Amino acid sequence: MRTNAHSVHGDPRLSRFDPLERVIYFDDFDKGMNGWTCLVGNYQDSIDTMTTSYARHTQPMLSQITHWDSGTHGSFDGTYALKIATRPVAGERNTAIKRVTFRKASRIRIETYFACKPEANELKLSDKDVRAFGVLFDLQDRQQRVMPHLRYLNTLNGERKHQWQFKQKSAPFRSIGSNEVVTHDHLSPQDWEDIPGAHQNLCYNEIPTKINWHYLRFDFDLEKMCWLGFQCNDAIFEPTGIESIKMPAMPNLDCMLNLAFFCESDTSKRTFFYLDSVLLSGDF
Amino acid sequence: MTNLRNAYTAVISRGDLWSGKVHTEPYEVAWSSEAIFFIHLMPESKKQKGEALAHVQISPDGMHWVNEGSQFVLPNVPDSVCFTKVTNFGGWLRLEVNIPNGSEYKVVATLSLKS
Repeated sequence: MRTNAHSVHGDPRLSRFDPLERVIYFDDFDKGMNGWTCLVGNYQDSIDTMTTSYARHTQPMLSQITHWDSGTHGSFDGTYALKIATRPVAGERNTAIKRVTFRKASRIRIETYFACKPEANELKLSDKDVRAFGVLFDLQDRQQRVMPHLRYLNTLNGERKHQWQFKQKSAPFRSIGSNEVVTHDHLSPQDWEDIPGAHQNLCYNEIPTKINWHYLRFDFDLEKMCWLGFQCNDAIFEPTGIESIKMPAMPNLDCMLNLAFFCESDTSKRTFFYLDSVLLSGDF
Repeated sequence: MTNLRNAYTAVISRGDLWSGKVHTEPYEVAWSSEAIFFIHLMPESKKQKGEALAHVQISPDGMHWVNEGSQFVLPNVPDSVCFTKVTNFGGWLRLEVNIPNGSEYKVVATLSLKS
């Protein structure tokens, strides 16, 4: 018997993750949507008050990743993955969100296996049609609302980048109808900053219909509200100098622990961001 | 314990203004065996004479589309709802809607799915 076996080897589905002590949720999209939904913007009295970029968001879906040339690709360990799809417009974005609250301000860790590809509607490499994909937390403690954003910028206006980025500034708040409901577009194209030393090539493969799953881990400290680092495949990145969007605590958001994934297109072709599974764990 | 059937409702149009020929974004439905499209005509719609007709479309790959055969007329009365039910649809569903000239329909359209 192996003496160095990790405790999670008892469950093969968990064995490819490195969760902290307590699993808060482990969402395998072969079992359904697991509470992942569309991120709509705030509004009051009329949905026309919603910020346009949020109004464009569409519902995530369960995809079997079927292609015209090779049939069903399937997910990492089954048939279905969560799919976030942009509209076929350059600069479009889309998101999926899951909303919970935290019971202890501990270290938390999000892990996922993901793939990101453009729609395979051209017989071309198409590796520069995806602009970006990423993950963000939306958190609040007694003092402040904190929104760490992590983005992989694949291409910007046709120029290959392959750069991890963060955000510490957000678009100004806008009041909707009254002073009690406000909105801000924290995913706007502005204010992304390169993470020093965080250039990374991923496994795009050679045609749009061949996909490879990638591992992503992102650690955050809810007590100190600071980044603890992240990892994509074999590249591990330190949190030095990386900040989050921060603002004073807002009404009605105590202990918020929202997690969202997003993707953006660089051309008039849909970008598809697939998540095989998502594991959120905490150190408590 | 009996496993409950999976179910999910996707909003495929959230107050969009429809005019001319409209296609909703492709939605993947391979996991489900039955679906209902609902369209709620919002009061802000500007209707002229003529009927708006919606066709259910299916696809082998999410890119090439063909009419499934189900079709329905959109409501004439603001703040009312219409629907159609479909089964045996493969991997994708969307709607093609033809709005009469001069009309502008503001709609909330949903796709209710069940495994």
